[in-house]
Amino acid sequence: MRSAARSVLASRGRFVLTGAAITLSVAFLVATLVLSDSMRGRAAGDIAEALAGTDAVVQGVVLGEPGGGPGDPERSVRRSLDSDITERVATVDGVDGAASQWVGFAKLVVDGSSVGTGTASDVGRNWVADPALNPFRLARGRPPAEVGEIVIDRSLAGDAGLAPGDVVQVLTTTGIHDATITGVATFASADAAPLQRTVLLPDGAVSAWLDTAAPTEVLVDVAEGADRAEVLDRLSELTEAEVIDGPDHIRTMQDVATSPLQFLTVFLLAFAVVAVLIGVTIIFNTFALTVARRRRESALLRAIGAERRQLLGGVVIEAALVGTIATLVGLVCGVAGVGALRWLVGLAGITLLTGPTIVSTTSIAVAATVGIGATILSAWIPARRAAATPPIEALRESAAEARVVSPARTASGLVLAAVAIAGGAVAVLRSSAAWVVLVVAIVPALVLCGPAIVTAAARGSARVARRVAGVGGSIAAGNLAASPRRSASTALALMLGTAMVTMFGIFATSLTSAVGTDVRDGLQADLVVTSATADFPTIDPTLAGRIAALPEVDAVAALSIAEGIVAGKAEAIGGIDPTALPTLFDLDPIAGDLADLSEGGVAVVGDDPTLLGGTLAIEFEGSTLEAPIVAVVARSTGGFEAPLYFVDRATLDASVGRLLDALLFVNLADGAVAADEDVRALVRATPGSFFETRTEHVANSGSEIAAFRNFIDGMLLLAGFIALLGVANTTALAINERSGELGLLRAVGATRRELRRIVRLEVALLSFVAASIGIAVAFGFGWALIDVTGGAEIPSVVVPWSRLAVTLVVAVAAGVVAAAWPAFRVSRVPVLELAGRDR
Amino acid sequence: MSSRPDSTVVDRQYGSALSGNADDAAAMLVGAVKRYGFGQSAVVALDDVTIGFPAGKFTAVMGPSGSGKSTMMHCAAGLDQLTSGRAFVGNTDLSALDDRELTRLRRERIGFVFQAFNLVATLTAEENICLPLTLSGRRPNAAVLDEVVSLLRLGDRMHHRPTELSGGQQQRVAVARALVAQPQVVFADEPTGNLDTRSGQEILGFLRSAVDRHHQSIVMVTHDPNAAAWADHVVFVVDGRVHDVIDHPSADSVIDVMKGLGR
Repeated sequence: MRSAARSVLASRGRFVLTGAAITLSVAFLVATLVLSDSMRGRAAGDIAEALAGTDAVVQGVVLGEPGGGPGDPERSVRRSLDSDITERVATVDGVDGAASQWVGFAKLVVDGSSVGTGTASDVGRNWVADPALNPFRLARGRPPAEVGEIVIDRSLAGDAGLAPGDVVQVLTTTGIHDATITGVATFASADAAPLQRTVLLPDGAVSAWLDTAAPTEVLVDVAEGADRAEVLDRLSELTEAEVIDGPDHIRTMQDVATSPLQFLTVFLLAFAVVAVLIGVTIIFNTFALTVARRRRESALLRAIGAERRQLLGGVVIEAALVGTIATLVGLVCGVAGVGALRWLVGLAGITLLTGPTIVSTTSIAVAATVGIGATILSAWIPARRAAATPPIEALRESAAEARVVSPARTASGLVLAAVAIAGGAVAVLRSSAAWVVLVVAIVPALVLCGPAIVTAAARGSARVARRVAGVGGSIAAGNLAASPRRSASTALALMLGTAMVTMFGIFATSLTSAVGTDVRDGLQADLVVTSATADFPTIDPTLAGRIAALPEVDAVAALSIAEGIVAGKAEAIGGIDPTALPTLFDLDPIAGDLADLSEGGVAVVGDDPTLLGGTLAIEFEGSTLEAPIVAVVARSTGGFEAPLYFVDRATLDASVGRLLDALLFVNLADGAVAADEDVRALVRATPGSFFETRTEHVANSGSEIAAFRNFIDGMLLLAGFIALLGVANTTALAINERSGELGLLRAVGATRRELRRIVRLEVALLSFVAASIGIAVAFGFGWALIDVTGGAEIPSVVVPWSRLAVTLVVAVAAGVVAAAWPAFRVSRVPVLELAGRDR
Repeated sequence: MSSRPDSTVVDRQYGSALSGNADDAAAMLVGAVKRYGFGQSAVVALDDVTIGFPAGKFTAVMGPSGSGKSTMMHCAAGLDQLTSGRAFVGNTDLSALDDRELTRLRRERIGFVFQAFNLVATLTAEENICLPLTLSGRRPNAAVLDEVVSLLRLGDRMHHRPTELSGGQQQRVAVARALVAQPQVVFADEPTGNLDTRSGQEILGFLRSAVDRHHQSIVMVTHDPNAAAWADHVVFVVDGRVHDVIDHPSADSVIDVMKGLGR
C-alpha cells in the first residue's frame, strides 16, 4: 500500500493527467445525472403535488399516437368529449365533485408583443373553482370571474413584470382578446407548470376564447368512503370516453412533461459515455506504459519470490488510489458544475432548469462505480498481461511493446468491419432500419484494426513525411509504428471525438437543409409573415385580408395548420387557398392539379405520382374527413411543422373550426416602393405575427436547429478536451519510454527544436489519421442512418464539407497543441539525463 | 571565443600524453572541475584536470568505477557542463557556446559511440549512419560512405532496421555513423561493453584502422585492459584526477598499472 502511494507520488505528472481524465469524465457523468434528476424530479414532484386532489380523470378516446419525428406533435390526439359530460359525471354515484378542464392555446401579449420564448408552450386553461381539483393555487389577487379577467402563473408575472390590476391582451385561436389580470397563481408550489406558460381564464370565457365546444377533460373527486374501482367502472359505462385513475394520470402527465427532457438526457448520457470511454483509454494507456516500464523491476521481484498476485495487487491498489481520489474530485466538481451544464443546455433553448439541485445517491453511486471501476479495470488488464510473463523473459526482453500486429486481431476486426459495411449497404438498399444495427460493429472493428491501421498509415506516410520534414519526419512516422497498440488506443479517443462531431454535423446539416430546402426552392413571395412559435399558428386570421387591402400589395396567401390523424399517426394538415398559393409558393406538383382541392380533395407531399386517385382518411378531434387524392406535390411549405397533407382552407375550417394562420405569403406589386414598410408596420401592430423578407425567411428556416447545434458544439468541446488530455498524456509517456533514443538524437546533433518538431509531427500524423477515420466512419454511419430513418423529415443527406474540413484541421491542430507541453518538456531535459535515464 | 592556453602549461604536466605540439590536440580539458551536489554532500567527479587528447591518435581512458572517467569524456564532448575550467574541441572553447551552438558542434565535429541506445529504432542502418549529416542538412560524401561501409562490412545490411541486426552489427553501424561525418574527434563510451569478445575485437580493429588509415582522433572510455591495449596512449583516472599516462600500451602493461591503482 505504502509503496503504491509512493509510486503515485513519484510520477506525479503522469497521474495528474490520468486523474484529470477520470475527474473530467466522472464530473461530466455526475453532472448529467444530477441535472436530469433535478429537471425530472422537479417536474415530477410539482405534477404529483398539483394533481394530488384529483382521484380520476375522464378524457376523450385516443385517436393517434405522436409521430416521433422531429416535426411531429408530442401528445396523442384524442376525440372530443361531449359538451354535457361534466354534468353527467357529477351525477354518478360516489362522485363528490367534478370539474371541467378546458385546455387550449393562449399566449400573453403585453404592449403589442407576446411574452416568452424558448421551448415552453403557451397554454390557456379555465380556473377550476374546486380547490381540491385545481392544480393551480392563488398566490396573489383573486380568481377570474368575468369574461376579460385572467390569472397568470407566477413565472409569466415575473418575466413580464405584471401584477394584479394590469391590463394586457391574450392571443388565442379565436384572435386577440383584451384582459385584466386579477391574480397570480402557482402550479402547486412551483412558479409554473413544467415547460408551460399558463393563462387561467374564467369558465365563461373559456369556450369562446379557446374555441372548443367541450372540455378537454373532466377532473373527478371521488367521495370519501366510496370504492374507487367501482366508481371508475361506473364512470366508464357513462360514455365512450377513457377513465384514468388519479395515480396513473399523474404518471402520464409526468412522462409527458419530462419527455422533452428524456431526449436531452439521452444526448447528455451519450456524451458522458463517450467521455468515460475516452477517460478509460487514457487510463489504460497510462497503466500499460507504467507496467511496461516496470517490467524489469517486476521480473526481478518475481525472480526473488514475489507472487503474481502480489505484483498485480500493487498495480491494482495504485489504480484504486488514483481512481478514488480522481473520482472524489470528479464528484465534487460534477455537482458543483451542474450550473455550468445548465448553462450549456440553456444554449439549446431549454428553459426548465430552475429549482433545487437533486443529488441522488444513485447518481453518486453510478458515477463513483464507473470512475473507480473503470480505473481499476483498465489498470488490471495490462498488469495481468505483464504478470503473466515468465520472470526471466521479462528480465531479458526490452521494455518496449512488440511491434508486430497480431494478424488474428486484424482479421477479426476486418470481418466485423465487413459486417458493418454490408449491414449499412443492405439497410440503405432495402430501406430497412433493422440492418442499421449491424453498422454498430464498426466500433469494435476499429478497436481491433486500430494497430494495423496505424502501422499502415505510418508506413504509407513515411515517404511523404520524409520529403516534407526530412529525417525527423521518418522518425515521427516510425515512432507511430513502433508501438501500434498504444498509438491506436490514443487514436481511438480522437476518433470517437471526431466521429461524434461529424455525425452531429451531418445530421444537423441534413435536417437544416431539409427544413430549408423547401423554403429555398419553393418560396416566391416577396414577404412572409410567421407565427410566434413553430409549434402553433398564432397569426390573426384577419391579418391576411388587411394586408391584401394595402395598396401596392399584389397577392396574399395564408397557410393554416391543424392536427389530424392519418393512418394512426398524428400529422400536420395544411389548409391553403389552391388558387392563390401557387404563385407565392411553388409546391411543385408532380401529379394532378392543386386547383381540385377546392372540390374537397387532398394533396399529398411525396415523390410517388401513383398515389393520385386514391382516397385518404384524416381523423380530426371532432370529425373525420375522407377525401380523394387529387394532387401529389414534391415539396411542402418548409419549416419544422411543415404539413405533409394539404386541403382547401375551407375544408379544413369545416373540419376543425376556425383557425389562426401559421404563415402568410405576400407578393408586392411590380415597382412597389414603400409597400414592404406598410406591411411591416401592420404586422408589427398585430401580436403573434412576425415580418420577414424572403431572404430573412430562407435564412431563419432551420434556426431552431442552429440553437441545438450550439449546444452540441459545447458538448463536443468538452469531449474534445478530454481526448486531448489523452493525447498529451500518452505522448508524455511515450517520450519517457523513448528517452534513450531521444538522448541519442540530441548527442548526435539534433537541436531541441528538431526534437520538438519530431514529437509534434508524430502527434499531428496520429491526429490526422484518427480524425480522418473518425470522419469517414461517421460519414458512412450517418449516411446510412439518415437515409434509412430520416423519412420525410430528412429526405436527403447533406454533407457539411466545410465543417468536416474544419473538424479535420481543428483535430490536427488541437493534437499538436496538446503535444506542445510534452514536446517542450522533452526539449528542456539535459542531453545526458535523457541518455542516462534508463541505464 | 577565447584562445587556447599556452601549450607549455599542458606540456609541463602531462607532456607524455601529447605527442608533439599541444596545438595538435583534438580535444582538451584545462583546469576542469566537475562537482555534483552542494556543501557537505558534494561529490567531486573531476578535480582540476588538465589534459589534451592528441589529434590523429587513439587514446583510451581507464579507471575504476566512479573514478570520473565517463564524466571526463562527457565534459570533453560537450554533453555535460563543467563546474569550472574549460573544455576545447580543436580551438573551440565549449564553455562559450550556447545549447544550439553545442548541438551544431556535436553533429559537425564530434562522433559518438555509446555502449547502448546507439541507434534510432525507426530508421534503417543507412539512415542511422547518415543521421548526423542529415540533421545538419548535409549529404554524405559518397566515397567516404562507401569506404566506411566496406570497412565495417555493412554493405548488405544497409536497409535493415536495428532490431533486425545482431549486437555486433548494431555497434558497427554506430561506429560507421561516428566516422562517416569525418569529425574532428570520436568519443566512444565503453563501445565493446555489451559485446562478445569476437565482436568486441572487430570493433576495436575498426577503430584502430580508422586512426591508422585516416588519422582519425579517437577517445575511448573502457575498463577492459585488452581493449585499452589497442590504443596509442592510455590515461588512468583515479578519484577525478589523472593518475598516470602510458604510451604504446599492451594488455600486460595496462594490468600492471591497474594493479598499482588497486591498493
